[in-house]
Amino acid sequence: MSENPLPEPIFSSLLDVLIPARSPSLPGAGSLGLAAYVEPRLGEGGSGVASGLGALDARANESHGADFPALAEQAQVELVKQVGAEHPGFVESLLFHLYTGYYEHPRVVEALGLESRPPFPKGYPLEAGDLGLLDSVRARSGLCREV
Amino acid sequence: MAWSLAETRMRIVCLEQGGWMNPADYPSTRTGWEQERFQGAFSLSPNGRGRREDYPINDSDSPIKISNFNAVGGSTILYAAHFPRLHPSDFRVKSLDGVADDWPIDYATLEPFYDLNARMMGVAGLAGDPAYPPKELPLPPVPLGKLGETLGRGFNHLGWHWWPSDSAIATEEYQGRAACINLGPCLTGCAQGAKGSTDVTYWPVAVREGVELRTHCRVREITVDDKGMASGAIYVDAEGNEHHQRAEMVIVACNGVGTPRLLLNSRSKLFPDGLANSSGLVGRNLMFHPYAMVTGLFDEPLEGYKGPTGCSIISQEFYETDRDRGFVRGYSAEMIRGMGPVSTALWGMSSSQLPWGQGHHAAYDALWDRTAGMVLICEDLPEPENRVTLDPDLVDSDGIPAPKIEYRLSENSLKMLDHAVARGSEALEAAGARQTWPEAPLPPAGWHLMGTARMGTDPGKSVVNSVGRAHDVKNLFVVDGSVFVTSGGVNPTNTLQAISLYVADHIKRNLETLFD
Repeated sequence: MSENPLPEPIFSSLLDVLIPARSPSLPGAGSLGLAAYVEPRLGEGGSGVASGLGALDARANESHGADFPALAEQAQVELVKQVGAEHPGFVESLLFHLYTGYYEHPRVVEALGLESRPPFPKGYPLEAGDLGLLDSVRARSGLCREV
Repeated sequence: MAWSLAETRMRIVCLEQGGWMNPADYPSTRTGWEQERFQGAFSLSPNGRGRREDYPINDSDSPIKISNFNAVGGSTILYAAHFPRLHPSDFRVKSLDGVADDWPIDYATLEPFYDLNARMMGVAGLAGDPAYPPKELPLPPVPLGKLGETLGRGFNHLGWHWWPSDSAIATEEYQGRAACINLGPCLTGCAQGAKGSTDVTYWPVAVREGVELRTHCRVREITVDDKGMASGAIYVDAEGNEHHQRAEMVIVACNGVGTPRLLLNSRSKLFPDGLANSSGLVGRNLMFHPYAMVTGLFDEPLEGYKGPTGCSIISQEFYETDRDRGFVRGYSAEMIRGMGPVSTALWGMSSSQLPWGQGHHAAYDALWDRTAGMVLICEDLPEPENRVTLDPDLVDSDGIPAPKIEYRLSENSLKMLDHAVARGSEALEAAGARQTWPEAPLPPAGWHLMGTARMGTDPGKSVVNSVGRAHDVKNLFVVDGSVFVTSGGVNPTNTLQAISLYVADHIKRNLETLFD
């Protein structure tokens, strides 16, 4: 983790750009609160992210005369692409933890049609399947090599 | 081994560097279960796990990295419980194909011990597989599910062999174990206790029968007397105190990396190059199974996140030698289940299928629950240059020299991997995959560790004899993957356990003349 907390609201705005709202009822990753999940897991990558966020905010003010969170979505996307190209690893260092945290978030898991719970103790039903599919295999010979 | 020998009423002390696992601690009991497979205390690599029980392994000089686990139950805590036997032909590789060596034992020798092991481990499967001699298993097979049926139809379309996998998974209540409820993440431990890890199969019975199991005890070396007989083991306990446990007989079961490490660390005046190493073969002939993996993307949901990860169906269409393929020996193809939500995202990221930004959700929805994987397990032939030695600098937390791996893929393995990727992709496409992604070799697949204290009749060409006894030390036995002469193209756990039961049977039948 970097020595200083990553600046808000720009960090959450960036996460909203990386994973935007899935539906009207499921906002983007930043608005879901993923910043609190991602930041402590960045380790040494935190300083690079802080540097990238600083560049993002400066570029927003230079180009648009406004802070990054205040920009329209398409303008935010373009700035992230620009700054990402100039700061290699800035975006990539976030994605592992962002995707991990986002896709175990209860609201996201439920949006995928699953119950938000660990596999144990309830488990899952699973069909035995049609073992009659094996009839043609069962009839084969010569697969077990003579010794 | 300890379970089988308990009936002799000998005093048996087992030194285990790990401890008992608590199934309530396994990741599948928590919402963050998926990420724990990739990082943290249940990940596959001992170098990244951070458990005190682990020892470091320098595998930087190998394209395949070591995966293992150290606990009561060892690597069966994290294994998939895929439980095939070797084929009869696997014991006669030299005679049949002119490569490597024949084993000094054969399938018929091990068959009764495979059967006994199936009852002890609780193996599920279906009789009638034409790729094997007839065998009966105590439990019905693991469900195919939609994914297994889909892939089975693909194999049928091609006219290729497939069969429900033999699996050490209790598909019904079995000997006190609860039935499998299809949790999915077998590879981070089974919270249900349905998977046959040896902490829930052999060990409880062995301890009830009087075997003394000392946990968190790391063996530094095996000691010898002035006649060259093993006299016991020096070990370090959990508090860092060193002890010498004397013994009339020493049995080593640390598997293909741990066993040569221990033997090479056991140097003495009589054995300056390491114990049982007059042949110079301790640590040599290391075999993995070079793995390929092909992931297929389907149009329909496959419910692949349900059910035992690694146990669905197996194909052995390309198991036996066909020289027209450009290589000798062969491989198994094992279907693995699909991915959970996090794994889907991380795989999508690594395969460049999942962008960030506005296209993210549409891309994710095209992947979610629509992937199926196939791993292709290639036979690895023994080569002396592939080896385990002691690292000159690296030590574990008790200061004991750590192992170093030197390993190269052979030309035969590379050709076999190419063939396996092509056939694996073909099978997935026949099952309906609209796109496939291969990866070969699979870097973290160093979980089958074999050959480093090989079995044989010639003391100049092997480390142990046909009953697992060291040629050089008459009261020293080895019973793990290191005694394998060749690797076959299947998961080795069933065979190494059958060998242990066979060696134990020999010891029990020959107690009076065992050290002659």
